[in-house]
Amino acid sequence: MSSHTRIILVCSGKGGVGKTTLTANLGIALASQGAKTAVLDADFGLRNLDLLLGLENRIVYTAQEVLEESCRLDQALVRHKQESNLSLLPAGNPRMLDWLKPDDMQRIVAMLSEQFAYVLIDCPAGVEDGFKNAVSATKEAIVVTNPEVSAVRDADRVIGLLNTHGVKPVQLVLNRVRPKMIASQDMLSVEDVTDILALPLLGLVLEDEQVIVSTNRGEPLTLNGQSSPAARCYTNIARRIQGEDIPLIDPSKEGSGMRDKFRRLMQTKIF
Amino acid sequence: MKDHLSTKRSIILPPSREADWRKSLITTINQYEKGPIEIDCQDWLMKCRDLIYLNKIIESAGLAITIIKSSNPETVVSATSLGHQAHLTIKSNSNPTKNPENQSPHLNQQSKLLFHQGTLRAGEHLIAEGDVLLLGDVNPGAKISAGGDVMVWGRLRGTAHAGKSGNTAAKITALELRPLQLRIATCIARGPEEKPQPGLAEQANIEGDGIIIQPAKTTPVIENKLL
Ligand SMILES: Nc1ncnc2c1ncn2[C@@H]1O[C@H](COP(=O)(O)OP(=O)(O)OP(=O)(O)O)[C@@H](O)[C@H]1O
Ligand SMILES: [Mg+2]
Repeated sequence: MSSHTRIILVCSGKGGVGKTTLTANLGIALASQGAKTAVLDADFGLRNLDLLLGLENRIVYTAQEVLEESCRLDQALVRHKQESNLSLLPAGNPRMLDWLKPDDMQRIVAMLSEQFAYVLIDCPAGVEDGFKNAVSATKEAIVVTNPEVSAVRDADRVIGLLNTHGVKPVQLVLNRVRPKMIASQDMLSVEDVTDILALPLLGLVLEDEQVIVSTNRGEPLTLNGQSSPAARCYTNIARRIQGEDIPLIDPSKEGSGMRDKFRRLMQTKIF
Repeated sequence: MKDHLSTKRSIILPPSREADWRKSLITTINQYEKGPIEIDCQDWLMKCRDLIYLNKIIESAGLAITIIKSSNPETVVSATSLGHQAHLTIKSNSNPTKNPENQSPHLNQQSKLLFHQGTLRAGEHLIAEGDVLLLGDVNPGAKISAGGDVMVWGRLRGTAHAGKSGNTAAKITALELRPLQLRIATCIARGPEEKPQPGLAEQANIEGDGIIIQPAKTTPVIENKLL
């Protein structure tokens, strides 16, 4: 499995744009589509991937003990309760920031690659050491951004750094898209963003209150095949990662009027 | 000074506050012809590891370091310990852009063209001593500067500085000129608010005491210099 393992870094530059939420939801979605998936929390300073996955209370060991060789990898891996194809490798304590080196990160990822088809790395915000360590261990990357000028600027910076580190392919996920605001030109449009970042668009994720609800419950939206707007988006992204050809949603058609609902219904029936 | 032109060549790394030397060195290294060369590390703090990396880039371009200069004592110490000839320079307090004379006097005359392919992304800074031709965009937050003309075969949406060493005749040309800021020599202008006309390459140059933007002219800039 090792050499075919897809190692994907989820990064953004700017904080709070939805990296951890995307990692958790893609992890669940890929696992439920049958792929053995590991999610690695590389945000040692502000870990919360365990929380989003509802696994916080099951952690015994972390990446730190694995690196110190005081436990085996499979002892530290936390398997998801319902989605057994998904495992989490939790972050150690924040002191790891001081001593972790790119080599360490590469060792961890190499170990995970032996057992899993997908390794998703939840990257810390920023472009400092935490980011560099994570980049050194990855093959490909997903850059998450929001339709906001500052988030796009930071994403652009990160893409430049990923390019210099030879990370390939780098794909884009545009999160928190609000069709109404785009229509009223109060928000950057999808084209505005892709025009600057010039990356293949892996998917859009709609702004969705259910994301917050699910975060608080520790149950990612993609669990149990929920059908809220963001859940559909995450599931589609996972399927695109797996190589399926799924058309992007069109924000201008994501209204709440009767006609739009009707149109969506028709589409699901035909395809 | 001019007499030394052919014998004394040097690479001057960008000041540490302006750009990452690794990046700018890799993009500009092919401006230099093979042979011995001196390196001015400016104010960079370079440990042995950095200098070994520097040497690798230099050597891979067929160049050989004759002397390493720096205004940072630690860099000089590292260089000496690696067996390089090293020299501590006196740091000038003035802003380097305001004091262009001592940046690279002998390269000003040189009209070498630096060609770079690829988009400059936020935080990146491409610096050329002569003219620069970029095949790609300059994104918001990125910067391109040149001793001579700046030509962008793409969209200029960041910051551009032509004639950075004081050449007021320098021009900035782009397929789409929508910059945040333009500088020519010591002139600074904010980019225009309105969108440019599509499909019309534009150029910016100094006229009077300001910078104006007009449709690009087909003056044979490059031909002149190659002859
Ligand atoms: N599509 C969405 N709709 C609504 N809220 C969202 C969406 N995506 C993310 N959020 C919210 O945005 C906040 C930040 O998300 P998240 O923690 O995933 O970001 P992050 O990029 O991992 O942040 P950090 O940089 O701090 O690690 C959370 O409160 C989350 O619920
Ligand atoms: Mg996070």
